[in-house]
Amino acid sequence: MTASKLASRSTLFSLFAGLLFVALLGWRIASMPDYTFARIVQDFLNALTLGSLYALIALGYTMVYGIIRLINFAHGEIFMLGSYFAFYAMTLTPMHWGLALLTTVLLGGTVLLVLRSLFNLEEPKRTFLLALLIFGGTFFLLAFRHLGWIEALLLSMLATGVAGVLLEAVAYRPLRGAPRESMLITAIAASFFLQNMGQLLFGPRVRGFNAETVLNQPRSFAIGEETVYFTGILIVVPAVTAVLLFVLNLFVTRTRLGKAMRATAQDAEVAQMMGVNVNQVIALTFFIGSILAAAAGVMYSIRFGQIHPLMGLMPGIKAFTAAVIGGIGSLPGAVLGGLLLGFIEIYVVSFFPTLSAYKDVFAFVLLILILLFRPSGLVGEDLTEKV
Amino acid sequence: MRKSLLVAALLVLGSFGLAQVKIGINLELSGRFAAIGNQTLNGIKVANLQTPEVLGQKVELVICDNETSREGSIACAQRFVNEGVIGVLGAISSSMSIPAAEVLQDAGIIMISTSSTNPQTTQIGDYIFRMAYTDDFQGKLAAAYVVKDLGAKKVAIFRQIDDDYSYGLAGFFDETAKKLGAKTLVQDFVANTVDFTAQLNNIRSFKPDAIYYSGFCAEGAPFMKQLREQGFDQQVVGADASDDPQCPEGAGAAFDGYIFTGFATPNLIPDPEAKKRAEAFKAKYFEVFKDAKPGDFNGFVLAGADAYNVLVAAIKAAGTTDVKAVRDALANIEHFPGVSGDITYKGTDGTPKDRTIGFYQYKVKSASDWTKIELFGKSTAEVQ
Repeated sequence: MTASKLASRSTLFSLFAGLLFVALLGWRIASMPDYTFARIVQDFLNALTLGSLYALIALGYTMVYGIIRLINFAHGEIFMLGSYFAFYAMTLTPMHWGLALLTTVLLGGTVLLVLRSLFNLEEPKRTFLLALLIFGGTFFLLAFRHLGWIEALLLSMLATGVAGVLLEAVAYRPLRGAPRESMLITAIAASFFLQNMGQLLFGPRVRGFNAETVLNQPRSFAIGEETVYFTGILIVVPAVTAVLLFVLNLFVTRTRLGKAMRATAQDAEVAQMMGVNVNQVIALTFFIGSILAAAAGVMYSIRFGQIHPLMGLMPGIKAFTAAVIGGIGSLPGAVLGGLLLGFIEIYVVSFFPTLSAYKDVFAFVLLILILLFRPSGLVGEDLTEKV
Repeated sequence: MRKSLLVAALLVLGSFGLAQVKIGINLELSGRFAAIGNQTLNGIKVANLQTPEVLGQKVELVICDNETSREGSIACAQRFVNEGVIGVLGAISSSMSIPAAEVLQDAGIIMISTSSTNPQTTQIGDYIFRMAYTDDFQGKLAAAYVVKDLGAKKVAIFRQIDDDYSYGLAGFFDETAKKLGAKTLVQDFVANTVDFTAQLNNIRSFKPDAIYYSGFCAEGAPFMKQLREQGFDQQVVGADASDDPQCPEGAGAAFDGYIFTGFATPNLIPDPEAKKRAEAFKAKYFEVFKDAKPGDFNGFVLAGADAYNVLVAAIKAAGTTDVKAVRDALANIEHFPGVSGDITYKGTDGTPKDRTIGFYQYKVKSASDWTKIELFGKSTAEVQ
């Protein structure tokens, strides 16, 4: 079958699916007399909020896959770690100076070591300045201030990024060159390990994540006699997702490290022969992917108000689904897939209230359909093209 | 040869000397119901400190965490079958109790669920008992309260469709509310749901006067938070699964004013003698757990303690550790002076005859500053 034939078939399929969807939508809205315009808008805003959260998680997921072709099942757990780091940063500060000093030495030391290995910091003067900045900044943040959500978010992103690099070094690097199945199984093991470690370290209880921020202030506007409600998350998360998408795209296409990433994605062995430090590039990918997971984790926790050691499981599966639907390895695809998933979950409940318990089933049925008819995802055009 | 015989004989003698009565504990110590599970365990531990021996033998608690999963609960039950315990205390929730009860009934091991309220649990067989009332009472009482006392004409009901307790309870509530002339609208969700915005949008046109929530706190916290964010200011009424610090701690001020039914705390127990016992137990509890917050002591602690107390009493009454004899003794217990009230199993399916249901209300300023007000108590005998 030629490429053009394949393309026309999938276009036909999308067209057919789209028409079916619109017809179903029209029929359903027409048969629901109390489904007012305000409710339509409300559903749309709810779906956008949920979908953009999924998109944010899926970005990190797809990024890691794009480079080393590893479905990082532990991404959900990295996401959980990010939430807990931010939680502790907010609730344990200001710390006693001794404890702050200890945490600074441990955290700052690890961060510095990881950053050094990531960015080739050879010049002593620069390294010294960076060390001063990291140690001083961490100590200042921990010891003297009660951290707000923004500082907690930034601190958590840094710590989670480092945790991601450590995870890669411990769990995945020794398996470089091993069959892909071994990596996959290791990823699942890493996921279980982090879940159970979380239960031991953080306790098994559900904790409230009560960040009083502008993000979860209820807001509303009127449509006719009815009111539509939303929170700050609705504006911030899509904006953050869009900015991250733009910046990541720029990073991957325009910078030296981005070029090294693309080279590694295409063929790790050849890239290594050409002088690319593959281990470094992969570690950097995990660093960025984990930073994204931490950002998503904090946003998710602010939105839903609670955290627990198993919280990463479902969002992890959803993000995986979103990434595959959009075309795994493709950044815009992940965002599209996440949004689509959010819309499905909201509208299934809205249009078929009796089936609301099965909203996840609809998302996974879509996943199966996509895998059957468009295995490279909605956006992914060619399986060899990654990132 | 002779030496090894001697060793064997010593071992046998030794094991007689150290004879222990083993009681299994199958609880939700991690996962979604971790808070309630640990409260129940603390109740059992305190009761065990008070009565550490029976028939001159030490009682050994074998603790198994079912991780709030059906598979985990079955695994715990099978482990107890292999270890040969006399009885199993737990699980707390109906969804974990029912699968464990099926295993234990087949093996002929006593099980006392501390707080399962689904009527089915004790129907599984003659070895299965419970410490709680059943959901037909709880649902009826709550519906009568919402429709008659609060005067609600339209009630939206939220139920967790994949949980035996939540699904069953919502059904009993719905039935009674309709009988009393109210209109209802049921919305479903599943375990670990965090986004309720679509379900909330569905009840917008229905304009409910009150909302009944029959689920747990892991879902309840995001539910209440979003309910308030989405502009609903109606009274919400919940059930005993809301008697969990994870609720106010998870959603903070959104839980302010939330009313729920639950196991009676000492103040609400009508029988003065039972009330005294409960107060004494409460004092002991805070003596053992010095760091415990006032919110940590609730009806689940009492239920855990009494599950232990009643099983030990049955072993004592039977005068043997033979499981069959102990079961018969347990099934014939009448007016046992428990810390959660009077316990009578004689002539029932394993559900105590007279239980008290308390009505409570959360007063929440913030996630770390909240209290629980005791409104009133109703005994199941009164309702019949």
